[in-house]
Amino acid sequence: MTDMQIDTEELRDSARRLLEKEVDRRARYAEPPREDGALYGKMAELGWMLLTTPAEQDGLGQSFVALAPIYQELGRALASVPFAGTMAAADVLACVAHASDLLARIGSGEAIFAVAEGDGLALNGSRASGTLADVLDGCKATHLLLLAEKLFVIDLSVAGVTVGDVTTWDRSRSLADIQLDNAPATILATGPDARAIVRAHLDLAIACDSLGGADQALTEAIAYMGTRQQFNRPIGSFQALKHRSADLKVALEIARAFTNDACEAFVERREGWASIAAQAKLLASETYHAITEESVQFHGGIGFTWEHDCHLFLKRALLNEMLGGTPEQYRDRIAPDILRRAFAGRA
Amino acid sequence: MSVEASRLNAVRAEVRQWLAANIPPDWREQQAGDNIEGFLASQREWLRRLVSAGYATPHWPGQWSAGGGRPLAEQVAIFEEIARADAPRMMLYFVSLYHAAMTLVEYGTEEQKARHLPAILNGEIWCQGFSEPNAGSDLASLRTRAERRGDHYVVSGQKIWSTLGQFADWCILLVRTDASGPKQAGITFLLMDMKSKGVEVRPIRQITGDEEFAEMFLDEVEIPVANIVGEENQGWKVAQTTLGSERGLALVELTERMYGSLWRLVGLVTRNGEEADRLDDEVRRRIVDITTRIEGLRALIAKLMTNRIAGSEAVGDASIIKLGFARIQRDFTSLGLRLNGMAGQRFSQYTLGAGYETGNWMFDFMNSYQYNIAGGSNEIQRNIISERVLMMPREKQG
Repeated sequence: MTDMQIDTEELRDSARRLLEKEVDRRARYAEPPREDGALYGKMAELGWMLLTTPAEQDGLGQSFVALAPIYQELGRALASVPFAGTMAAADVLACVAHASDLLARIGSGEAIFAVAEGDGLALNGSRASGTLADVLDGCKATHLLLLAEKLFVIDLSVAGVTVGDVTTWDRSRSLADIQLDNAPATILATGPDARAIVRAHLDLAIACDSLGGADQALTEAIAYMGTRQQFNRPIGSFQALKHRSADLKVALEIARAFTNDACEAFVERREGWASIAAQAKLLASETYHAITEESVQFHGGIGFTWEHDCHLFLKRALLNEMLGGTPEQYRDRIAPDILRRAFAGRA
Repeated sequence: MSVEASRLNAVRAEVRQWLAANIPPDWREQQAGDNIEGFLASQREWLRRLVSAGYATPHWPGQWSAGGGRPLAEQVAIFEEIARADAPRMMLYFVSLYHAAMTLVEYGTEEQKARHLPAILNGEIWCQGFSEPNAGSDLASLRTRAERRGDHYVVSGQKIWSTLGQFADWCILLVRTDASGPKQAGITFLLMDMKSKGVEVRPIRQITGDEEFAEMFLDEVEIPVANIVGEENQGWKVAQTTLGSERGLALVELTERMYGSLWRLVGLVTRNGEEADRLDDEVRRRIVDITTRIEGLRALIAKLMTNRIAGSEAVGDASIIKLGFARIQRDFTSLGLRLNGMAGQRFSQYTLGAGYETGNWMFDFMNSYQYNIAGGSNEIQRNIISERVLMMPREKQG
């Protein structure tokens, strides 16, 4: 880490400005869908892919705390870029010898990573076979980071790899089914925590994405309720709507505070950091779901239309909630850790 | 580490050490719900110890208390340490040390301060006479009237929800001195001696069976004009100081206590937090959820206090944490009651002055309505959040 800490609020502003200009959130909902092809390159030009690379490896030496506002703004904008998987991969590549070339290509925007859990694959020395379903950004990636007992990198352009696009309800993201048939897999000599680090990075990225989207969705719903007139008054003056909005605001602020704290816990590797990141993912994505579900109801008939943007947020929230596992799987995975920690708090 | 941070750590270490040596180990037994005398004696003794250590009044100006003059960050640290050590709450003296004292510090005359502030350190008990049967959420519509006759006000009316009013020596009282203008403009703030003729106090038995509040019937009570705080008809403004006097510290303490009592919940269903994998999935998931919400609330309160210390608090922040706390506390105690099964349905003795974390889940659950109703009900907080934070349009005023 360098002494130079980038001002995260400045980063947030600059991200928001760029994304307001570059992202058309309806592009992929158009017929036929349009791609925001240029955005990823512009992010690379701004050096975002170098943010967390250590200075001695020609990066900017920042911690995850610098990525958090970017993830939030990407969520707010409903942007469609393969950023999180790439940055999670960069976290482990930075700690591995002989990976500086890949790291440099991530920095320039050439190398793009998707991440998948690979426990079900047949791993035979340096070859992998099997099917990976629903890999986020799989069709945009040049490389796959495979999480198994060890971590592997698979070049997706080689023979033995077939990437099939999956059409999802949330069009702001892309999933792919990846078929590996004796595909070359390079093992990474990582530390014991590498898998947990990648998972925690992705959990926090989704949590931040959810916060940004939830904040924007709630803001837009409140604005709508302030202008929509029925019974000669704005519907936002009705207590039935105001009280639900207030409850959602409280939930959002609690999720935000938890997530910010979880990002710091991750950077400091505070005790329990991995399950804390999972808690943030759970809380933030479920709050996002709650806000976007209510937002359609707040909008009434117009919210039920394809034309209105309500469903863009709702569908992204619903996918966020499932990424990495169902909320129930998440809870079951972290419960033993949470219960032990809670009991340890005994005065 | 910054100078402030290491200073705070030093304060924490001091407080922790002091608490370890001074918390009466049997305070829960002494403050059992069926032993009011024991409760009063235990609270008196706890106040005496805290005052002599300076930890009862970190928020007072230094001239009135040797332990005073501490910045808010240190006040927060002291409350957190008290909560973490599971010390008794200063239930009987909270209104005295915060609401009464801080109002006097801000608006009291020199005579009033000299008379009452040292007395409060010696255990003078105050209660609050604000709410009325018909002035709850709409406090400013209060009707207890005061007429000036010579050098006295003559006060008649009814007050309600005075915390431990049956034990109070003095009362901070809001009365109506002018009914002709806007409701906020005719309110006056008085100090009432509870031994005055015409004051009748009746404890209110709550749904817990406990008597933590009282109602007061005032029949032609004479209060000297010298006992006015601020100007006549300016009492609403003075009352805002009273209501803001604890600056969020109560919520810091209560949240920390709730966090610190998660082990009780886990202890209901596991052996010492272990063997969690043998539990029913749904039970474990609920514990994960309530833990996460409590930890999130704790992070949010920490951020609010940081902002408050820096003077950058936003409008409505206090309402967000008040509503968040109230809802989470009810869900927490409700879950505890459920996990306690039939055992929770059997009456067992509860502890007074332990907040909402006595381990008696039925008592704690019933008691949790308190925070959801008092100090601006959840519904009032939702109005504030929607109108002042989210800037949603106001309803037509009735």
